[in-house]
Amino acid sequence: MRKFVILSLVLAFVLMPLAACKTSKEPDCKKADVFCVGLVTDVGKIDDKSFNQSTWEGVQQAQKELGAIVKYIETTDAKDYDKNIAQFADANYDVIVTVGFALGEATIAAGKKYPNVKFIGVDQFQAEVVPNVVGLIFPEDQSGFLAGALAAMMSKSGKIGAVLGTDAVPPVWRFGEGYRAGAQYINPNIEVNVVYHNDVGFDKTFTDPEWGKTTAISMIDKGVDVVFGAGGKTGNGALLGCAEKGVMAIGVDTDQYYTVPEAQSVLLTSAMKLLTPGTFALIKMAKEGKFPAGGNYVGEAGLAPYHNFEDKVPADAKAKIEELTAAFKSGTMQTGVSPAKPQ
Amino acid sequence: MIEPVQSTVWQKLEPILSAAAVPLLAVLTAMLVGAIIIFIAGGNPLDAYWGLLEGAFGSARAISETTVWATPYIFAGLAVSVAFKGGLFNIGAEGQLALGAVASAWVGYALPDLLGLNLPAWIHLPLAVGAGMLAGAIWGAIPGWLKAKTGAHEVINTIMLNYIALNLTSFLLNGPMQDPNPLNVIARTPLIAEGARMPPIFPGYRLHWGFVLALLVALLIWWVLNKTTLGFEIRTVGANPNAARYAGVNVARTIVISMTLSGILAGLAGAIEVTGLNYRHELGFSIGYGFDAIAIALLGKTNPLGVVIAALLFGAMRNGATRMQFLTQIPTDIISVIQALILLFVAADAIIRWLYRIKVGEEKLVLTRGWGG
Repeated sequence: MRKFVILSLVLAFVLMPLAACKTSKEPDCKKADVFCVGLVTDVGKIDDKSFNQSTWEGVQQAQKELGAIVKYIETTDAKDYDKNIAQFADANYDVIVTVGFALGEATIAAGKKYPNVKFIGVDQFQAEVVPNVVGLIFPEDQSGFLAGALAAMMSKSGKIGAVLGTDAVPPVWRFGEGYRAGAQYINPNIEVNVVYHNDVGFDKTFTDPEWGKTTAISMIDKGVDVVFGAGGKTGNGALLGCAEKGVMAIGVDTDQYYTVPEAQSVLLTSAMKLLTPGTFALIKMAKEGKFPAGGNYVGEAGLAPYHNFEDKVPADAKAKIEELTAAFKSGTMQTGVSPAKPQ
Repeated sequence: MIEPVQSTVWQKLEPILSAAAVPLLAVLTAMLVGAIIIFIAGGNPLDAYWGLLEGAFGSARAISETTVWATPYIFAGLAVSVAFKGGLFNIGAEGQLALGAVASAWVGYALPDLLGLNLPAWIHLPLAVGAGMLAGAIWGAIPGWLKAKTGAHEVINTIMLNYIALNLTSFLLNGPMQDPNPLNVIARTPLIAEGARMPPIFPGYRLHWGFVLALLVALLIWWVLNKTTLGFEIRTVGANPNAARYAGVNVARTIVISMTLSGILAGLAGAIEVTGLNYRHELGFSIGYGFDAIAIALLGKTNPLGVVIAALLFGAMRNGATRMQFLTQIPTDIISVIQALILLFVAADAIIRWLYRIKVGEEKLVLTRGWGG
């Protein structure tokens, strides 16, 4: 017993300094010619097939095309936001990308603390202007418009639907009304059922998959043959309702082919916030010294790949979507949707 | 003439060392297995462990952050330990902690408005912390009472009460207690009043008085368990409830007290996170502390001082993980894997005894019993 305790203690003490001998050879981000980009995730994983992953792909593009040194830190507890951001800032990183609205306040605070670092807050509407912090936001109305246009082109019954969270949240309003406008742009006589989950509190409007599912199913029973589900778990519930009925569904935010695999067989596309190009564009601006001076930067909207519907969407419909996407990108076209629900 | 001196020192050290041998070797073995996993995953184990060490203890800030992580671990680890000592398996620390945090936050932000006056810190802070302890106490007492009166198993009931507590918390933070600031879309309470906040110990560092309190509470719990009649009763009921009954101990009462005490400590973990660190409660804070606490209690052999050391170790690993990931880009999940391995080796200590040829047996701890036990 005694021998073994001594032995193990000796072993432990030998191993410690052995580990300590290892010197880290970190790139020197302080040098002007070394461009470093760090990403801090929201609570979750880097390969979440959603916001974290899409943003990281934008950072990786900067690694390939701009020769940036890139690294990420996954947040495991919300109390570590500041610490994880500081990890990069203290190592003199040039750009720090934070993912998701939950990091909004931590990003602003870090921006004030580290004025020489540029911060990109993905999906964070920044009300306060701090010169080195830019919120990356998206034109949800355009995204919804494209989804509505595609739905109108794919519908055989002339009735389409949308199941959304509360319209008191401006992005949800823009998705829903954009969808309506897009459908009517293609076919002025189409019947569009847009249902917002306004009848419950904020606590439930985005977390009510049962309601989403039953609402979608009751629409389908009335002849609706394409349903757009937008609003967290409530919207995902609508996708599941479509899967149950075998009716086409459209997801939201990221490519939901991966986030709701149960609905893969019916998922036509998703109305996306294009996180990857938006993130890359801002990093590139930072590299070239053209970073916006605070406030918000509006990224691009677009539709996700058609996946299982690649062969079922007619070529002229695909061409129309591409045309509309390009028109929004160049600014030659507007959706006409108000930024928020008129009071 | 040096020989006898050494031997007395050794005599004092040996029981401590032999009690700590299995946990220490479990940690060492888990780190070695973890190194192999890191290697297979394509990382350099030495780089990774160096990052872990540097991230946990490499600077004053790193040490401060390690204590920040360790503080709730100490409270929650003590909570689970006290229940273990009483022969009860409290899986409900997570729920007790969440409700403790909610109650503490509510008293912290709502009470001044409700009373229409600003409370001085010497009243407000103890009230906020006390509310968290009370919430935890109630949530711990319920399964204790059910066990004592009806024989319903505390494992089942604490798990069920976790679901109720966590969903109730989610409802409150998304609804009635949500920060009413129009720009806020996050499920969290408003900030608590200045008077309900613990002052920082060193400005600029997050190390807070809650850590000091955690150490003092650990001492207190050690004293209660080992030096008081109540502690003796808890331990006796834990070791053998029938013998305790014949000896005249009120077993039902002791079970309720053990679980209530356990709940108080878990609630305290939540209350201290709110008053000492975050100044509000938010979904996403303190996820899984109540479950990590089970591993910490087992690693610390349910000894309050052992729990402090185990909590510091777990806190160091969680804190150092950021630096490790920064340096090596290895998923932080590896830390969870190593912690799970530690738990595995501590729980199945026959593996460690066989691996390292430890022959000396030790007192078996009764962690929980079956129905009607």
